[in-house]
Amino acid sequence: MWWGGRGQSFNIAPQKEEPEMGSVQENRMPEPRSRQPSSCLASRCLPGSPSSPVDGSGISEYDFALVNIGRLEAVSGLSRVQLLRPGSLHKFIPEEILIHGRDFRLLRVGFEAGGLEPQAFQVTMAIVQARAQSNQAQQYSGITLSKAGQGSGSRKPPIPLMETAEDWETERKKQAARGWRVSTVNERFDVATSLPRYFWVPNRILDSEVRRAFGHFHQGRGPRLSWHHPGGSDLLRCGGFYTASDPNKEDIRAVELMLQAGHSDVVLVDTMDELPSLADVQLAHLRLRALCLPDSSVAEDKWLSALEGTRWLDYVRACLRKASDISVLVTSRVRSVILQERGDRDLNGLLSSLVQLLSAPEARTLFGFQSLVQREWVAAGHPFLTRLGGTGASEEAPVFLLFLDCVWQLLQQFPADFEFSEFFLLALHDSVRVPDTLTFLRNTPWERGKQSGQLNSYTQVYTPGYSQPPAGNSFNLQLSVWDWDLRYSNAQILQFQNPGYDPEHCPDSWLPRPQPSFMVPGPPSSVWLFSRGALTPLNQLCPWRDSPSLLAVSSRWLPRPAISSESLADQEWGLPSHWGACPLPPGLLLPGYLGPQIRLWRRCYLRGRPEVQMGLSAPTISGLQDELSHLQELLRKWTPRISPEDHSKKRDPHTILNPTEIAGILKGRAEGDLG
Amino acid sequence: MLGKGVVGGGGGTKAPKPSFVSYVRPEEIHTNEKEVTEKEVTLHLLPGEQLLCEASTVLKYVQEDSCQHGVYGRLVCTDFKIAFLGDDESALDNDETQFKNKVIGENDITLHCVDQIYGVFDEKKKTLFGQLKKYPEKLIIHCKDLRVFQFCLRYTKEEEVKRIVSGIIHHTQAPKLLKRLFLFSYATAAQNNTVTDPKNHTVMFDTLKDWCWELERTKGNMKYKAVSVNEGYKVCESSVKLKDAVFAHCYVLSVTRWLASKRSSINRRQKEKPHLYLEGDLRQFGLPAYFVVPTPLPEENVQRFQGHGIPIWCWSCHNGSALLKMSALPKEQDDGILQIQKSFLDGIYKTIHRPPYEIVKTEDLSSNFLSLQEIQTAYSKFKQLFLIDNSTEFWDTDIKWFSLLESSSWLDIIRRCLKKAIEITECMEAQNMNVLLLEENASDLCCLISSLVQLMMDPHCRTRIGFQSLIQKEWVMGGHCFLDRCNHLRQNDKEEVPVFLLFLDCVWQLVHQHPPAFEFTETYLTVLSDSLYIPIFSTFFFNSPHQKDTNMGREGQDTQSKPLNLLTVWDWSVQFEPKAQTLLKNPLYVEKPKLDKGQRKGMRFKHQRQLSLPLTQSKSSPKRGFFREETDHLIKNLLGKRISKLINSSDELQDNFREFYDSWHSKSTDYHGLLLPHIEGPEIKVWAQRYLRWIPEAQILGGGQVATLSKLLEMMEEVQSLQEKIDERHHSQQAPQAEAPCLLRNSARLSSLFPFALLQRHSSKPVLPTSGWKALGDEDDLAKREDEFVDLGDV
Repeated sequence: MWWGGRGQSFNIAPQKEEPEMGSVQENRMPEPRSRQPSSCLASRCLPGSPSSPVDGSGISEYDFALVNIGRLEAVSGLSRVQLLRPGSLHKFIPEEILIHGRDFRLLRVGFEAGGLEPQAFQVTMAIVQARAQSNQAQQYSGITLSKAGQGSGSRKPPIPLMETAEDWETERKKQAARGWRVSTVNERFDVATSLPRYFWVPNRILDSEVRRAFGHFHQGRGPRLSWHHPGGSDLLRCGGFYTASDPNKEDIRAVELMLQAGHSDVVLVDTMDELPSLADVQLAHLRLRALCLPDSSVAEDKWLSALEGTRWLDYVRACLRKASDISVLVTSRVRSVILQERGDRDLNGLLSSLVQLLSAPEARTLFGFQSLVQREWVAAGHPFLTRLGGTGASEEAPVFLLFLDCVWQLLQQFPADFEFSEFFLLALHDSVRVPDTLTFLRNTPWERGKQSGQLNSYTQVYTPGYSQPPAGNSFNLQLSVWDWDLRYSNAQILQFQNPGYDPEHCPDSWLPRPQPSFMVPGPPSSVWLFSRGALTPLNQLCPWRDSPSLLAVSSRWLPRPAISSESLADQEWGLPSHWGACPLPPGLLLPGYLGPQIRLWRRCYLRGRPEVQMGLSAPTISGLQDELSHLQELLRKWTPRISPEDHSKKRDPHTILNPTEIAGILKGRAEGDLG
Repeated sequence: MLGKGVVGGGGGTKAPKPSFVSYVRPEEIHTNEKEVTEKEVTLHLLPGEQLLCEASTVLKYVQEDSCQHGVYGRLVCTDFKIAFLGDDESALDNDETQFKNKVIGENDITLHCVDQIYGVFDEKKKTLFGQLKKYPEKLIIHCKDLRVFQFCLRYTKEEEVKRIVSGIIHHTQAPKLLKRLFLFSYATAAQNNTVTDPKNHTVMFDTLKDWCWELERTKGNMKYKAVSVNEGYKVCESSVKLKDAVFAHCYVLSVTRWLASKRSSINRRQKEKPHLYLEGDLRQFGLPAYFVVPTPLPEENVQRFQGHGIPIWCWSCHNGSALLKMSALPKEQDDGILQIQKSFLDGIYKTIHRPPYEIVKTEDLSSNFLSLQEIQTAYSKFKQLFLIDNSTEFWDTDIKWFSLLESSSWLDIIRRCLKKAIEITECMEAQNMNVLLLEENASDLCCLISSLVQLMMDPHCRTRIGFQSLIQKEWVMGGHCFLDRCNHLRQNDKEEVPVFLLFLDCVWQLVHQHPPAFEFTETYLTVLSDSLYIPIFSTFFFNSPHQKDTNMGREGQDTQSKPLNLLTVWDWSVQFEPKAQTLLKNPLYVEKPKLDKGQRKGMRFKHQRQLSLPLTQSKSSPKRGFFREETDHLIKNLLGKRISKLINSSDELQDNFREFYDSWHSKSTDYHGLLLPHIEGPEIKVWAQRYLRWIPEAQILGGGQVATLSKLLEMMEEVQSLQEKIDERHHSQQAPQAEAPCLLRNSARLSSLFPFALLQRHSSKPVLPTSGWKALGDEDDLAKREDEFVDLGDV
């Protein structure tokens, strides 16, 4: 039996025996190779994936999570191809199975002729069945890897999982959000199961008010702080107003106070406006996947319009544009900007993360980005399981993958501003469907907590004396997707670093308009609705008083202003004469979102294709960096012993340091990556 | 898309709708703009340049955003350029002006760079040509380097408007005589100033020695010889007089045509069928004074059909197979002449089919490959995507970017060229065949394909000197009609086909896909493409070396004893300061390690990759049978009976191609060996630097390639300094100071458009239209209110 990609197959050492992993067996593909470890030949099938499989990591590149299997095909001979579905009869004994991953990978499993036919048949059947079962099984049993304990030890600064009040408090302090506090009102998930246990609310709002106010939002997702801009602005997110409710005056006041967050200038952003619906995202992703299949029938000269036809890049640019607009709003003056989406679990997370990436240099570090994802997606209750199709429900929509694509675009456009590399994004992209940690396998923080055992006192929820969950042991050991050493070798993890990262670009000393962080609450002097790329004045924040709210009733029908030449930024940042040599506040990135600037993430989507190669800029920089450290090392070594026999050691300097050698190193590196 | 305003004064097809948001009329600009007082900026004239007409108080729009603003200044037209003299240059700091072109300023447009001129009359945009009855209030100039200038003439005196507009139209659009090119007045005036760069090692291929050197370098001297049979253009001499006559005739024709067009519409003008064939027939004076032919070929044969039907050597591969080109014999009706032609070709074929020559495969580029018409149509569609008059127009096209791009089929043409070049490479490299490129005049697609093949196969061509020599050999000496293809003389729009630009775009694809393999950067290519329109360099301003030399020589005899000394574009110091020139050089390029530094010229290039290719001897054997047939076929083609497909363009060829292509790409790249581009759909890209550089919306501040580049240069610098330190330890004396590329140093935040369009940086303002901002009163009020509020908070 051989494993190969597109006709290129070469041997690597036989895989190790599968470690005993108990329940893992039913969630991962039954490994056919474990039956005949000695006879199996394997080859890489993933041109462009970060690096070759490395011994010691739990999951190799040939492992496909069952959920990840997008399409199964049995091939016999050159022309016989059969799509394998559960229950379908095998028309022939397959010589080869093609497994098309939903993460754009392609795995080719070939069965060598000679004595293996029955096995080929069995294995194929087993895969089909296991896949069918996994589709039915809505819940995963908790997976405890045998390496669980040792994994967490090596984490340098652990990514805060935002499951304890301390995490939230630390993060709050880091952001210097002085007007805010950590609310424990949802500690028992009784305000909303989709909300995290803790979140930030304005200082002066009491927990009881929070509870009441949150009741008037869709699924209890009231306004919470997402990010505090060092200049004073606050970025908030909340669900849609629950229009059927009939709040009393105090409730309305509480809601308004929370939205206003002490600012006189309030901008309500309709997140869903101009962005794709969930169904759109799903459809685009399906189309993109079809287009990027290696056997896609699109002619080369029609490729571009086919790509356009998927609309995926359109959605990417819509997200970037909106995020860029919002970051201007947040940066330009001190105000409260509220992202409002009906469910508050999809696009709000996408936009608030993008805005932070654009305006906060800290979020562009490896650590910052992981905490960002953990906070705005995982803890904020993005329904990963549903969106990634894990439950088989109809609401599948890879919003998170759309987000990753947006981040990749930023990475492309600002290669010196991100500490993490494309490989990191790729690793994250691929981890989404790997069922070894709970991070992406649950819909809500509540479910996740239940699973990892921190809620074994769930029955005590209403016990008055209950204050702290039995924290500590159980969930400190819990693994998250950020434990990269579970799946990746150290060499691979090293590649997560962007060698071109040049953080000098963004001095964090910059503050736009240093202002007291909190102001006397009063009625906001200006309330805006940001929609269709423009600000429209609103009479009131909430829809319940007096007249129906603009947002609730008509916002989606507001015509986009056809002609408006006044630029908000012009007014915000003064006239062109004030724009010095550096017209943008340092640290703020404004991405390009023109047609020619939005690119296809080739290394991710075209992985199944044999011809995809690496771009060369990143490896060359890293090659140079290696050379640099090599030189420095050399210099250090030389310094002590060089003084006396300096000239006796007659070595031509060129043999050590001539460009040829650098070339060799560069080339070797590039090739290593290319291979 | 982000709603952006229509630029005031119209320009687009849409009339601006009334809106309360400020739709600033130019009148208001007048009052808003405080710098109405014109600063006197002196016009910088090149030697020999003459001021023709000028107009003052012209407002140049800063196109960048929807809010109108502009700069007042003088618009002048000389016999070299159109220049706008405003005071906005002072706004630049030194850092950014380092990449300044010394010849062409930011606001200069050479007359040859003008593509289209539009006038705006009552918000309607019309093409301007010929005599005008009415003068526009706004002048829009589209340049061939894709800049767009908009000048408002509303505040200019009527007399001046008339003079400048008709002056510009006349000097950019009226047909010119070759002798009236600025090139000559410049050369005459700057006779003594021209100092040729001693460091310039580009091989010009204008001497026998250069050809011999190239033969030796490629080891082609065993089977090919350089001939001087055309020395003094004897081969062509007989027809020179005829040529001159017809040339003059053409000029008269085109002038008449142009004059006639003054009264007719463009449409009619385009329908007219000019006497194209005359010019077409003249094309064949393309033979350079010296060239290379197969050794056994008798020299008399060359003269027989003025160089037609002669296989001319382009390049030899390390395995002995060679790339040849041949221009087709003139089409004849007479059977007798046909018979003569046939026997002539038979003779020729006998010589090159005999050993020691490999089998010859013929590629007929004029019958079943691209047509020049296709290239022209595609490019004119393609460039419209980037010639943006105003933002609205831009956003309109932006929505359907990919399908628009695809429908222009420019990228597909690039793909086809690259594919053809790979096919030929496969024949030569894997099948060890000679390839004979056949084209009517062997001066358009022949140049393109043979240069591409050499670029892929010969690492020497990927150095800057090698690349320049390649262009010199294949294009300049190869007789590419730059004058006609760029329409420098404005004599015939239909002959204007951007073949050379297509070549540069193909090269860009290679550079983009394999940056470490090239000594030059994409900026180099961009700057080279701009140099096509600067008429102080002779390189791109002649149709053939013959034309150049005859024009130079006579000038010399008639007026002065000394022949004119024309500049070559390869002398980059004419255009750029040394510092700026660092941007043309790829810092990551590493030269091929040389075994013996002294023996540079005789260096043999080894293709490592070649070793791993399947041996092809066995494959080529079945083809021997149809060897004869192909010759016949070729002759049929030559005699004008075109058959759409060559026999061998069958599946077998495709399979060979696929195998070759796939096997190359599955291995790691040797940057000093064979280099193939990817040609799949997603891999052919838009040359963003060249096409997007003037579009302010495309600016990514602090992003783009520059960000990586500056980091790279920084590290290179560090490596260099460390290297020096180590050198110091070896030799007590100071190592020679390597020049540090510090152009990008201490530049805080460059935009992705760097190093072009520096003046556009204001545009980095994010535009966020606010409908109803005014509803709450003035901005100032608001700010004040907020400040008060803040103060309260403080208390």
